[in-house]
Amino acid sequence: MRTGGFFLVAGLMCLAAAINSHADDMRKTVIYDGAVTEVSPAGFESKDLWVTVKDLRRATGFVVKPQGICRDELCFPIPKGRKAQFINKQSSVTWFNLSEFARLVKQPVAADEKNAVWYFGPRPEVQNGYLATLEAPNFTLPDLNGKMHSLADFRGKKVLLITWASW
Amino acid sequence: MPGWQTFFHELKDKNFEIISVAQDTGGAKAAGPWITAAKPEYTALIDEKHLVTRLYDMVNVPTAVWIDEKGRIVRPNEVAFVDNRYKGMHGMDAAVYLAGIRDWVENGERSAWVLSEKELKARLAPQNPDRAMAAAEFALAEYLYSTGKGTDAIAHYKESQRLNPDSWNYKRQAWALSDADRDYGTNWGKEVQKLNGKPYYAPRKLPEAKKPSN
Repeated sequence: MRTGGFFLVAGLMCLAAAINSHADDMRKTVIYDGAVTEVSPAGFESKDLWVTVKDLRRATGFVVKPQGICRDELCFPIPKGRKAQFINKQSSVTWFNLSEFARLVKQPVAADEKNAVWYFGPRPEVQNGYLATLEAPNFTLPDLNGKMHSLADFRGKKVLLITWASW
Repeated sequence: MPGWQTFFHELKDKNFEIISVAQDTGGAKAAGPWITAAKPEYTALIDEKHLVTRLYDMVNVPTAVWIDEKGRIVRPNEVAFVDNRYKGMHGMDAAVYLAGIRDWVENGERSAWVLSEKELKARLAPQNPDRAMAAAEFALAEYLYSTGKGTDAIAHYKESQRLNPDSWNYKRQAWALSDADRDYGTNWGKEVQKLNGKPYYAPRKLPEAKKPSN
């Protein structure tokens, strides 16, 4: 009986582990500042997107520092008393909640659960930065031959920018 | 596009450039034949991700922005037709607008068509959060579509359309990638009918003094 009970418990544990790993073993895709990066899945359940601090740096360029979440000169302090919502240490791995960070900095986020893809849009101050300076937002795009052109290349000329579409 | 080539040819030696940007998820395959046929001397670019739409918070095509020698906006988003082919739909005369561009190219900041900083700031507004979310949903849909998950993209295209109902770009691009009636339960013709007299394009505010008297 004891042996049977042991196998039953062990079997259930294996089943639970299998379900858990099935739910979470999918690599996730993060699109951040237009760059696509595959990241490791978190080993725990969460509706939010948790990434390792290593993946955070790879996918976004941000690093966790004592003063906050930083990239170059830019630093967003973690609000007092909310560290656990952002950082989760599991044995040797430190996980970072990228969804919570997006809420903090008011980034729009769209996710597709089935394909495990997360898209992070620009922060409002990035999107709307040109309203203060009235400087036309720059872009770099290809022509039909694949040659890249930037709006900024045309400084010194008047430019009529026109969008159109084939559809 | 051939109309813009003729217009550009007239002004190209006056320190003036046209940058046309195709908002086309279909990329060179979709936009290329039109560009090839127009034989533009100006800069014709292809924007598969609709980046310019997002950066300038546009909702329609054709939309133009006038940018001066310092890279500053002097007229923000407004509808820009080079001829009167679609005048029946929007009622706007192309000649008035083209005359305005000529006036700006000749006279620079002295042109009545160049908006004051006050007027520019009145016309430009921060992107509202729903539009920002719509842009994120549209970008996610574009990624799914371009990685072979077109069926999964549909829900996100629909969400972008719901969040930014003013955007014809989000609607028409998504419908063009799909069987619109089957996947979206509508199509462009039906949606234009639903406008029921409301303008398809936001009306332009042009300088009164420069309107021809006819």
